[in-house]
Parts: sequence; structure tokens; C-alpha cells
Amino acid sequence: MIKLENVTKEYPGHSVALKEADADIAKGEFVFLVGPSGSGKSTFLRLINKQEDPDDGRIFVAGKDIGQLSSWKVPMLRRNIGSVFQDFKLLPNKTVGENVSFALEVIGRPKNVIKTQVPAICELVGLGDKVDKYPHQLSGGEQQRVSIARAFVNRPLILLADEPTGNLDPQTAIGIMRLLDRINKTGTTVVMATHDRGIVDTMRRRVIELADGLIVRDQAQGVYE
Amino acid sequence: MALRVDYIAKETGNNLIRNPSLTIATVLTVALSLSLLGAALLLQRGVDGLNTRFKDDIEFIVWVQPDAAQEQIDLVQRSLDESSSVSDYRFVNREETFTEFREFWADSPEVIDAVGPDELPTSFRVVPVVPDLALVQALGSEFEDLPGVLKVDFASEYIKQLNDFTNVASRVMIGAAIASALASSMLMYNTIRTALFARRREVEVMRLVGASNTFIRIPFMLEGLMQGLFGAAFSVLSVFALNRALRGLIEKTDFQLLDSFALPSGDLWQISIWLLVAGTLIGFIGSGIAVSRYLDA
Repeated sequence: MIKLENVTKEYPGHSVALKEADADIAKGEFVFLVGPSGSGKSTFLRLINKQEDPDDGRIFVAGKDIGQLSSWKVPMLRRNIGSVFQDFKLLPNKTVGENVSFALEVIGRPKNVIKTQVPAICELVGLGDKVDKYPHQLSGGEQQRVSIARAFVNRPLILLADEPTGNLDPQTAIGIMRLLDRINKTGTTVVMATHDRGIVDTMRRRVIELADGLIVRDQAQGVYE
Repeated sequence: MALRVDYIAKETGNNLIRNPSLTIATVLTVALSLSLLGAALLLQRGVDGLNTRFKDDIEFIVWVQPDAAQEQIDLVQRSLDESSSVSDYRFVNREETFTEFREFWADSPEVIDAVGPDELPTSFRVVPVVPDLALVQALGSEFEDLPGVLKVDFASEYIKQLNDFTNVASRVMIGAAIASALASSMLMYNTIRTALFARRREVEVMRLVGASNTFIRIPFMLEGLMQGLFGAAFSVLSVFALNRALRGLIEKTDFQLLDSFALPSGDLWQISIWLLVAGTLIGFIGSGIAVSRYLDA
């Protein structure tokens, strides 16, 4: 599903973010990216949905070399990749329902699809009764559920999560991880960058460890370190 | 697709009212610059009309002294006959001159009463072969020194002066219009940039979920276009108002020469279309640069 071949990415004026990275992630896998801040986890994720382009090497998503993708096709790639962030990136002037439907509206989905999909996905993430609330009326965990709902409402093949539990207390984080696990069980490939040792050690999924842009460990059913 | 139209209309509308002071400033600058352009075009059209009207008969008038002897008049007539540069001429005798004089001073009978036909100069109305201003003037002055000639008047001289004046005026106005069009384009650029900044979260989410570039751009481009069009609409109004004021002024002064400066509405609509096109262009360029600079990064 996701394949990195000898990928290098440098930011001018900084050290190397990713160096000759190779990785092959199969459909339906759940992968943790671990490593200290600045080790290249976010870059790894940003390369997959083409928010960044590598300086060297090739990246395949669903069998396609995304380096060959013309710029007007990038949106099509992103429709197949949901993204979740530490800071949720919700629109504060929109309700839960509107935040989720926004993702469908802007890719031109018909109204009737939106009408059925949005309540269903809100139900799925456990916010069926909060569709009309605004983000500031919700707890952090609930806000992250909205952001997951938004990322998943279009049923993407891949879900990228950049420290989704970074702002949450451990109890709430467990709830979010259960949700991501459920999404993974529907066949969606999940790649999650995290610092959360407890979560990684409990879930025992594949772990890719980065240090200074190098992949130093790639372990099935791994632990944090 | 219906949904998209909804969405785009809603977003464009929201953008326009989100920052009213900036929107108003932009619309007004566009309106001002296009009004200047409109006024310049109006003036240009007036001059064009003036020129076509007088082009066919650029003539000069050789005034003969009222007390000139018949031989002197015959001499003038002979030289006109002999001159190869004169295509046609007409002698206006005392009666005709007096009739013209009475028509001209119809409003002031006391003037007419004070002057008798014998006191008025007769004249030759001369049509030259080549209706070129400089040539006509050279030709006319040949007759100035003949005995019995009072003076030579060039109908075209007034036109030329008017022409020169309006040309300078319209050039100045076009220069000012271009400068302020640039200013309004830049203001437009900043307005759209501000709109982009105000909506950066939405734009970020739109990109992440895979909205197409066109889809993201359209509301911002439309915002610029609408502001350009609103400004142009104002300038159209001011052009019509200006033309109306001119017409009123001309009618009041009864100065026939300036008739062509009051344009028929067909011409006005043509100018209006130009202004609307220019407004659209300003909006398109300003917002286009802002959008491509801040969205494609």
C-alpha cells in the first residue's frame, strides 16, 4: 500500500529529515512511527500525502509512483488518505456535523451522500449526540474524534495520524486508540507517529523507529524501545 | 454540481462581507480609477466626433473689408480661381452676411438695430483641396496680404485648440487612470491575500481532504472579480452622470461646436462595456496573483 524506496528529504538549513529510507507497508497494516522529536516522523507522513516531495528516492502509494503525479491529480491522492493531527485542525466556527460534512462538500460529494454519511460517521466515533456542538464545547478527546470522523468519512485507504494522542490524557488516549484500531480493522492502513510509550507497548503492532532521519528499527509486534 | 454553486456563492458572499472596510476600499479605488478612465474615453470620443464633423469641410473665411472696391473683390476671386489648392469657394454677399448676422444675434435685437448691411464685411468661404490643418493655414495666409482683405479666419483653428486641450486632458486622465488602476490592482491583491489569511484553516483542511485547486481558488478569484465589477458599475454610473452634466452645460451655453461632447447613449454603453471589462481584469489580475502566490506554495 505504501512503499518508500531510498527516500531522502532535506530541509535547507537543517539537518537531514529523512535519509535513504526504505519501508514497505502492506494494506491493512497498523504501523507506529517512533523516535525523538526531529527524527523525521512527521516528514515520513508528509511525504506520503505529498505535502512534501522527496529530494531523492521514490514513493509508491497503492502501487503508483506519486513522484510522477501531476499537480492537479494530487487532490485525488489525498482523497484516499485521511489525516489526523495532534492539534485536531477543526474549524472553530463550524459545528461537529459541519466540520465533517465540509470534507465531503469540498470534494464535490452530492448532498444526499453527505446527509447519510455524516450522522453515520459521527455515530461511529461516538459523537452521535454532539453533532450540533461547536469544537470549543467539546473536550480534547471529543475534538480528536471529530477530526478522525472527518478524516475517515470519505473511507480512505490510508489514515495518517501525527501524534493524535499528544494533547490528551492517558485515559482519553486509550479511547482514541480503540477508535483507530476499529478503523484499522475495516481494512484501512494506519500509520501513526507517536511518543506514547504506553500505547505502543500495549498494542504491540509493527514499529518503525527513526533516529536523525535514519530508520534504525523495523519490528513486527514491536515495543517502544 | 448544484451543491458546488451553492457553496461557491456562499463562500464568495462570506468573503465579501467578512472584511467590509477592505472590500469597500477596494471597490472605491476601482471605481475611482475606472471613472477617470471613463472620463478620458468620453473626452476622446468627443474629440473624435468633433474631428469627423469638421474633417469634410475644413474651411477658412477670407473677410473682405466692407468698403473694399469691386476690383479688389474681383482680384481676390481671381486668385482663388487660379489657386490649385482651392477646391471650391462661395462668395457670401452683404444680404447673406446680414441674414447670418441677424440669426447669430437673434437674442439681442439692439445689436441688430445698431448695424446696417453696409457695415458688414462680405466674405469668401473657401474649401481647400487637402483638408490638412497646416496646409490650410499656409494657403489661407496667402490671401491675407491681398488688398481689400480684412483678415483670414480659420474655422479649424478653434478646433485645433480644442483638440490640443482635450488631447492633453485625456492623456493626463488616462495616465492617472493607469496609475490608479495599478493601485487598485495592488489593493485587490492585498485584499485577497487578507481573505486567504483569514481562511487559512479552511484552506489547509480543504487541501488535506483533497479539494481540487480550482475549487479552492474559485471563491477567492470570484471575490476579486465581484469587487472589480462593483467598482466598474460605479464608474459606469459616474460616466453617465458626467455625460449628462456635459450635455446640460452645452445646451445651456448653446455652443454648437461642443455638441459632439455630449455622446449618444450607444457610445456610452460602449464605454461602459470597456469599463466593465477593465474592472473584471483588475479583479482577475489582483486576485489571480494573490491566489497563485499564496495557494500554490
